[in-house]
Amino acid sequence: MHSLSRFLRRLRLFVRRENFNREMEEEMAFHKEETEKEFRADGMDACDARHAANCQFGNETRLRDESRETVAFWFESFLTDCRYAMRQFMKASGFTLTIVVTLALGIGATTAIFTLVYATLLRSLPYPQADRVVHIEDARLQGQSTAGLVGMGRFFDIRARSKSFASLGFFYFDHTTLIAGNHLPVAMKAIGASAGFWNILGVQPMLGRTFNEQDDMPNAPGAVVLSYGTWQQIFDGDPGVIGKQVTLDQKAATVVGVMPQGFNMPNGIDLWQPAQRDAADLWSKNRGENTRFINVYGRLKPGVSLQAAQNDLHTIGEQLRREYPATDAGWQFSSESLRDDLYGELRPALVVLLIASGFLLLIACVNVANLLLSRATSREREVALRRALGASEARIRLQFLIESTMLALFGGCAGLAATFALVRTVAAKLPGRLGAPGTIAMNWPVVWFAVVLAVGVGIVFGITPAIRNRQIDLNTSLKRGEARLSVPTGAGVRGAFISVQVGLSVVLLIGASLLAESFWNLLKSPLGFQPDHLLTFSIDLPWNTDEARVRNFYAEIQRRIAALPGAQSVGQISTLPIVDWHLRGNFDADWLPRSPKRDTVNVEERSFAWDYLAAMGTPLLAGRTFTEQDATADLAPVIVNQQFVRQYFPGGNPSGRHLISDNSYIGTVEIVGVIGNVRGTAGSIASKAGPEVYFPLDGHSVMRSFVVRSHVPPEQMMNAIREQVHQVDPRQAIANVRSMDDLLDKAVAQPRLNMAIVVSFAVVALLLACVGIYGVVAYAVAQRTQEIGVRMALGATRGQISRHFIRRALTSAMFGLFAGTVCALLLTRLLRSQLYGVTPDDPVIYLGSIALLLVPVVLATLRPALIAASVDPVEALRAE
Amino acid sequence: MAKKSELLPGTLDMLILKTLTRAPLHGYGIAQSIKRLSDDVLTVEEGSLYPALQRLLLQGWVKAEWKKTETNRRARYYTLTPDGRKQLGEELSSFEQVIAAIGRVLQDA
Repeated sequence: MHSLSRFLRRLRLFVRRENFNREMEEEMAFHKEETEKEFRADGMDACDARHAANCQFGNETRLRDESRETVAFWFESFLTDCRYAMRQFMKASGFTLTIVVTLALGIGATTAIFTLVYATLLRSLPYPQADRVVHIEDARLQGQSTAGLVGMGRFFDIRARSKSFASLGFFYFDHTTLIAGNHLPVAMKAIGASAGFWNILGVQPMLGRTFNEQDDMPNAPGAVVLSYGTWQQIFDGDPGVIGKQVTLDQKAATVVGVMPQGFNMPNGIDLWQPAQRDAADLWSKNRGENTRFINVYGRLKPGVSLQAAQNDLHTIGEQLRREYPATDAGWQFSSESLRDDLYGELRPALVVLLIASGFLLLIACVNVANLLLSRATSREREVALRRALGASEARIRLQFLIESTMLALFGGCAGLAATFALVRTVAAKLPGRLGAPGTIAMNWPVVWFAVVLAVGVGIVFGITPAIRNRQIDLNTSLKRGEARLSVPTGAGVRGAFISVQVGLSVVLLIGASLLAESFWNLLKSPLGFQPDHLLTFSIDLPWNTDEARVRNFYAEIQRRIAALPGAQSVGQISTLPIVDWHLRGNFDADWLPRSPKRDTVNVEERSFAWDYLAAMGTPLLAGRTFTEQDATADLAPVIVNQQFVRQYFPGGNPSGRHLISDNSYIGTVEIVGVIGNVRGTAGSIASKAGPEVYFPLDGHSVMRSFVVRSHVPPEQMMNAIREQVHQVDPRQAIANVRSMDDLLDKAVAQPRLNMAIVVSFAVVALLLACVGIYGVVAYAVAQRTQEIGVRMALGATRGQISRHFIRRALTSAMFGLFAGTVCALLLTRLLRSQLYGVTPDDPVIYLGSIALLLVPVVLATLRPALIAASVDPVEALRAE
Repeated sequence: MAKKSELLPGTLDMLILKTLTRAPLHGYGIAQSIKRLSDDVLTVEEGSLYPALQRLLLQGWVKAEWKKTETNRRARYYTLTPDGRKQLGEELSSFEQVIAAIGRVLQDA
């Protein structure tokens, strides 16, 4: 009750603040008059009495302030300070705008990168207890692995022996053709998964259910779970879709569930179906190298650590090495968290981007600090005046702090708004996993990051000039205008600013140049094929299609497409280069001694047929290519690549030699030809070509990609090709229709994005640094105009004056350049994994970047230095 | 000039309230009254008087109104409220306790 009435009184005083001030003033005037009267009664003359009364009363302003503070709300002085700061900003709008824009750039860049970092490395993944989910990989003890893929047999071994997992599951990528109702057949990116897959992720479907152990039994009726996108596009978002019958790869299946929109495990999948494999399946009995095709995941039992699970897997791996020496000897299991599995590859790039954005922010901060310092210097008189009028030191310091924090918050808001706009426009277009729906989004942690960053920056800036102001001597500050012939205050700090800016810029420039050079190399080094005028697409027959039908189907399509007007050459391959696909095989070679310890020959396997080499433009270096008879030949012919020869048959021609597969189905094959290396056979075009063996496509090759080289733009061929395929088999869809140029473009999207971000940061950094350096030198010139006049009057030439300023600035710049180069040498190691065809300490890149930096820096120094030289000594001295 | 004694901390509010028990006074009057009654020993600085008066107003222990002085000059007069009287009683008794306690300690020493 009491506190309420106190609050009401406070509120009334707050509303009637003008009145309060007037009354205080009158009351004090009265007090002073009475005191004055008293002194006069004591015998003083009028003048002395007034003076004595004033002295006794003290600083009226401060007194009034204190009275007001007694009754004011705590935020009132804060509001006053804010209002005062706003007035200051309005008065110097250019200055304010410069600072806000500069900070917006720095904070915006850092926040934008933080959005990426948060979405991938920090936020908890959208699965219950996602940190308990592990990805289990199979890795070769020595040499190239199959991208962590596990063989079915080894998966069932883990499931039987491991004690660490509450559930274990697997999935593999599949391409199926879906026919829903009377729709045309559509090619779907599908997943074949075990029932355990759903237990591991623990995500509830949006509609219906996911599949269970019964669905996953061999020969169980087909079930399918749709992605949100498939549900929308093919079933028009029909809520009654559950229970509908569809045709999947020419077999009936029932729609049992629809997943929510954000579910993208793995990314970009249209539907999930039960794998329906059991431990007795052919695929699990065959343990050979080329049976590795599943991705294995597990959920840890409560209380089991990742390390314990790893040890468990290690033991199982050892057991298997002893039990199956022929096939499992060279392999071990490893495990990683789900986060590492999903985003581990991005981590190095993100760390680099975060550092780069931090550098940009620092450069922006240095510029702003410089501006604030100049302004603090020019506001010395204002501060001295306010102090003389009774403002306390703390109050003035707070005022500066509030001003700088407000500026930083404005900058932060602008930066945040820019980030928001950026996220809205480009988030869905980001390459790979980053572009998956729901991955990159604005959220509170990002907003808080920006706000905390802004406030932090503001406080640091506020404290610096505030501390400086403490040392100001009131008397001299007020009498300013005397000639100052000393080096201006803060010259050392300003020199350091130049050094820091140049240093940070040079690191960014070197990083950007390295990435740009890598990207250039990635695009321009020979691919091993001609990507222009090349159309690609794939057709996938059901896996159990009869061999003769497979052969006839693809031969018919080959014939029809080759006959199309515009088609120059047409070929088929099991999987295109640049597609993330892995199939490896082990061989003995009739010219190499057998080694019991390790595989004699371990290669990536592909199959092609018809005019594949001609269509791709991959050169045949020796021997011959495949003919139509090869698909059914007794002694199957194979073609190897150049790297195979380099590694296993150096300096010779292996044509006529034989390879003996560990897979009895393949048996002995004869090498008939050598082709040039193709980049990216196993997915990444940045990886070096490894040894490869190509088989002729046969009746088992149900899944094929076509390459069509055309005289006309590839897109024009598309409708005709669709029509031909439909005529051959109306139940069949064609998938992944893309020009090779598009595929390449997608393959370099991530390195291009990284490069584009770092390059734009470097450009902005360079720009800011130049503006900053220009500012520092111009300010020094302006502050020392009178000194220049004196020097000239004493005989200094214009050249000497300019040289003086240039030397000062460039000395600082050189120091920064040196420190920056050393930093770059240390930091660019982080880039190593992202470089292609260039080393992190490439001297040409370093020299080039330094030269690129020096030109604008020298120009930025030169202009104000020349202005200094053009000072008219008479004018300068008269101004005194 | 006679050496002025510092006021004990926390006693200013009590002195002001006590001064106002006799009659409503303006700020200058309060300062003069305290000075006179203490035989010039206690001086109330204007710098503390006016913030203190605002504090008392805010607590509702005194009321303020503008009135004419004997010399026909407008001045703000402060009057003790019943709440203020109660507060003064509390402050006096706790003050007496403290003084008595200090006295005992000093006697003993």
